[in-house]
Amino acid sequence: MTRDSMRSATLNVAITIGLGGLAILILPNYWIYLATGAMIGAVGLLSLGVVEGRAGMISLCQLSFAGVGAWTVGYLNVAEAPGGLPIWILIGGLAAVPFGIAIGLPALRLRGINLAIVTLGFAGAFDAVLAAITYPGQAEFLQVLRPDVFDGDRGYFLFVVIVFAVISGVLELVGGSRLGSCWLAIRHSERAVAAHGVGIPYAKLRAFALSAFVSGVSGGLLAGYLGMLVSDNFTMFGSMVLYAVATMVGAQYPEGAVVGGLLGALFPELLRRLDVPQDLGNLLFAIGAVQALAARETISESLRRAFCRVVRSKTRQLRRLDASALPPRIDYGNAPALAVRGLTVRYGSVIALNSVDIDVPAGAVVGLIGPNGAGKSTLIDAVSGYVLRYEGQIETKNRPLEGVLPHRRASLGIRRTWQTNRIAPDLTVSAYLRLAAGNITNDEIDAVLAWIGLPDPDTKVSGIDAGARRLLDVAGAVAARPAVVLLDEPAAGQSFDEAARLAERISEIPDLFGSAVLLVEHDMDLVRAACSAVTVLDFGEVIASGPTREVLDLPIVKTAYLGVVETEAA
Amino acid sequence: MNSLLTNAVAGLTAGGAYALLGVCATFTFRLVAVVNFAGAAIGASGAFAFALLVEVGTPIWGGAIAGLLFGALVGVLVGEIMTRWFAEASTSIKAAVSTALLVGVTAVGLRVTGGQRPHEFPELLSGSAFRLLGVEVTNTAIAMLGLAMLFTLLIGLFLNRSHVGLQLRALSERPAAAELIGIPVHQLSLWVWAIGGAATTLALMLIAPQRAPNFLGLSLLVVPALASALIGFFRSFWATLLGGVVIGEMESLISGFSGLGAYRTAVPFLVIIAVLLWSQRGGRWDDAR
Amino acid sequence: MLRISDLKVDRAGLPVIREADLVVEPGRISVLLGANGAGKTTLLEGISGIAPVTGGRIKLGTEAIETNRPTERARKGLAHVEQGRTVFRTLTTEENLRVVGNGVDFARSYALFPELEKRRQVRAGLLSGGEQQMLVIARALLARPKVIMIDEMSAGLAPIIVGRLMNAVRALADSGLSILLVEQFAALALEIGDRAYVLRKGQIVYDGACRPLIENPDLLHRLYLGGGAHA
Repeated sequence: MTRDSMRSATLNVAITIGLGGLAILILPNYWIYLATGAMIGAVGLLSLGVVEGRAGMISLCQLSFAGVGAWTVGYLNVAEAPGGLPIWILIGGLAAVPFGIAIGLPALRLRGINLAIVTLGFAGAFDAVLAAITYPGQAEFLQVLRPDVFDGDRGYFLFVVIVFAVISGVLELVGGSRLGSCWLAIRHSERAVAAHGVGIPYAKLRAFALSAFVSGVSGGLLAGYLGMLVSDNFTMFGSMVLYAVATMVGAQYPEGAVVGGLLGALFPELLRRLDVPQDLGNLLFAIGAVQALAARETISESLRRAFCRVVRSKTRQLRRLDASALPPRIDYGNAPALAVRGLTVRYGSVIALNSVDIDVPAGAVVGLIGPNGAGKSTLIDAVSGYVLRYEGQIETKNRPLEGVLPHRRASLGIRRTWQTNRIAPDLTVSAYLRLAAGNITNDEIDAVLAWIGLPDPDTKVSGIDAGARRLLDVAGAVAARPAVVLLDEPAAGQSFDEAARLAERISEIPDLFGSAVLLVEHDMDLVRAACSAVTVLDFGEVIASGPTREVLDLPIVKTAYLGVVETEAA
Repeated sequence: MNSLLTNAVAGLTAGGAYALLGVCATFTFRLVAVVNFAGAAIGASGAFAFALLVEVGTPIWGGAIAGLLFGALVGVLVGEIMTRWFAEASTSIKAAVSTALLVGVTAVGLRVTGGQRPHEFPELLSGSAFRLLGVEVTNTAIAMLGLAMLFTLLIGLFLNRSHVGLQLRALSERPAAAELIGIPVHQLSLWVWAIGGAATTLALMLIAPQRAPNFLGLSLLVVPALASALIGFFRSFWATLLGGVVIGEMESLISGFSGLGAYRTAVPFLVIIAVLLWSQRGGRWDDAR
Repeated sequence: MLRISDLKVDRAGLPVIREADLVVEPGRISVLLGANGAGKTTLLEGISGIAPVTGGRIKLGTEAIETNRPTERARKGLAHVEQGRTVFRTLTTEENLRVVGNGVDFARSYALFPELEKRRQVRAGLLSGGEQQMLVIARALLARPKVIMIDEMSAGLAPIIVGRLMNAVRALADSGLSILLVEQFAALALEIGDRAYVLRKGQIVYDGACRPLIENPDLLHRLYLGGGAHA
């Protein structure tokens, strides 16, 4: 959690309550009544903002969670449970959590699309259940009681506004935490998140639990608003409309949720006054959602971009490197950072790696080279745990890693970078480093960025070019200070000068951070400059290994690279 | 015993319709890589075009053909949105788009058809085919099941025997390579959408008289459709067919038990959960990302 | 037949090719060499339209094609045989051919690669690497291209098969087809080539005859891998 997110959370709460108070002073009663519905919708949208907006999972049963909350409040009301509406709503939210977890449980193993089908099925099943049971107290015309302080339209509006403000503030804090960054990253690439040492299932499950809670609260608020509910308030189709609205406005942003809530409540009213059929609002939400998906930008994001253009134009200069401000070096002693023995990987009948041995001693930078298809990436995948079916042994600091999952290997001291860009574009540079490195202070982040040559920790990743993203990928892996860093073609796409600078950085890694390096790279200038030893792979086998200069001069290596059979030519 | 059989026969109609819808979902996913949440909504458009045309006096078979064409047209429109703007998007994004389109198409459909106002759906086939142990087996039930099987068979033949089918298989396996050798990728994709739209229309035209025929209700038949497709892992047409029939039968048999009848729409959910938990027991995360 | 000038190509947002010039004369073979990661594949993808071209011109014959979509470029006579032997694995050998040439007699394809005729009904995924390579080339030829670009034809194949493929390519050129052959393994390609280019870090660092490169492996080595150590 950062100071930034604390500040923006507080700001959120203040602005929301301020605007809500203003609305109470100036709006007539009827509009207050409508606005209350809008804000309840906004709370519902916030719940989708967690699973959909942040973690990128499709949930089509949000209103079912709300239904659980609403029905719970109904029961507590009939039972005249102590505490009154605020407590009942809280309990209603908690009652929805087990449902969220139950739906999220298959999500531990499911791809996004199957998850969407599960939630759809759940919404359908829940429709049937709700239709079969009447709302508690309906037979006796028992309305849900509001607390005295918040009775009346204006009072209840204030109550809803406060609830919204608190929830959006808390969500802002969670969003700024490592868990929040993790959600944004999962949405982009699950493998990359595992490489930071984060367990994916946990993160997903928490998103669902939190989302169900918020949704349950919105259902409870609705119970207090309308007094009496029917199953039609919580249909599957309603969940889909909510999903479309969330997609359109960007429900992970408080202003997006409010805009969405207002659209949902006021649009039908507007259409009614214009004598246009009200249900056409849904068509506009659908068009808006498709448009947002095509543009890859929600309404909130457009607003924020426009706002930023007006307000902020200063860019930060690259700071001078202060090596003492870097995260402290970790001393790993003399145990080998990585020892690979007899590693064999088969894909069907193809042998990708055949009995490969590689050593990366503590404090060393070792190169791994070879022509395309030689098995370099397979080796990195096997070491980092993405290919778990292999023969042979992989050890770090004398600890065997067989059967250990990628995120556990990452926390045991093996970090990697990727050939293709896998950094979530929605994160800021500093949030990414925090996600990758775990405990790291703001000053340390600045120092790491200065070291690798990236300027501004507050820019979004989407705003920096692809070459810089590669450097950021390297910076993240190194800042975690693992026993060994596996760098997969970090210099691809860099110019001659940039590659030369990068070579210097890479050779400094052991001294500055304590990590050993295994470098896969095609740029031989870089390999010469950075590596003390190299191993050459060809057709999945080690054909040479030893000090860099000697190995690169071996005829067999030239042959592997060039196909020049020198004995023939001579 | 007899009531059980009555329910089982009634389940055939629903099962056949689910099967046909499911096969269309599998078809769309296999060939253009979209899990189409809007599938049933597209079919509902065609089915209601048919009902409305007949209401204004169009002969029934003429209306049916016009309905099929209209369903194909709506399918093509949805397909155009998908191929034009989302050709490179991930499966999840495409699913999100199709969900939004379900909302949009249904909104328009409800408006045009007068909301929940019930419509008289002409029965394309009526009467009973034969009696089995004293239970009437309706023509619709036979036709529905037969159509589902015929469609599955035809799709197989089309993909395996025709040149367009061959190109479609090539396209679905390697879109980039297909484009490089000059296959008209865009046009072919639209054909897939057209066929899917027409076939779902047919399924919904036949089942609509048995259901509360409002636009939303038909659109939401996407749930059993996707559940059936899931049984075939979005891959096997025949397993999808079987899945659809099984879900239809389960629903129908459950309605036979007093007290459980109201919960029959929960059947697809149970099937979905069971299939997924079993099939994905070894998986860990999205390998592709 | 194919002439590109000042071409700039991006890949995943990275500028990979910076201002490349390259020519393939009618009925000739131009060989494009370079180490891993030099940008050879990206250059081809830019020419065929898969990767975004951010500047420069591509002329096929007399026609500028840099704004066309890949399918259109293919129809105008540009064939691109991708690396990795992109057969449609679930289709049989003959089906792979039929995707392009429906109702066409495949006699010419089988005359060029008799190996394929024996394997007509076999799924392409089950063919050997060499047979798959023959199949993708034969498939590309069925569209009757003016220029064919072949990427990493010999990667992972046994020398005897590579020799066989090289001979076929030479024969195709002699029958009038223009060919751009991209190879990492230089020796055999240079033997059959008419003109050579060496690409290093997205830039053409050699443009000239093949002979000097064959006669002076050290020159080639330096062009590939940089560094002055081997001069």
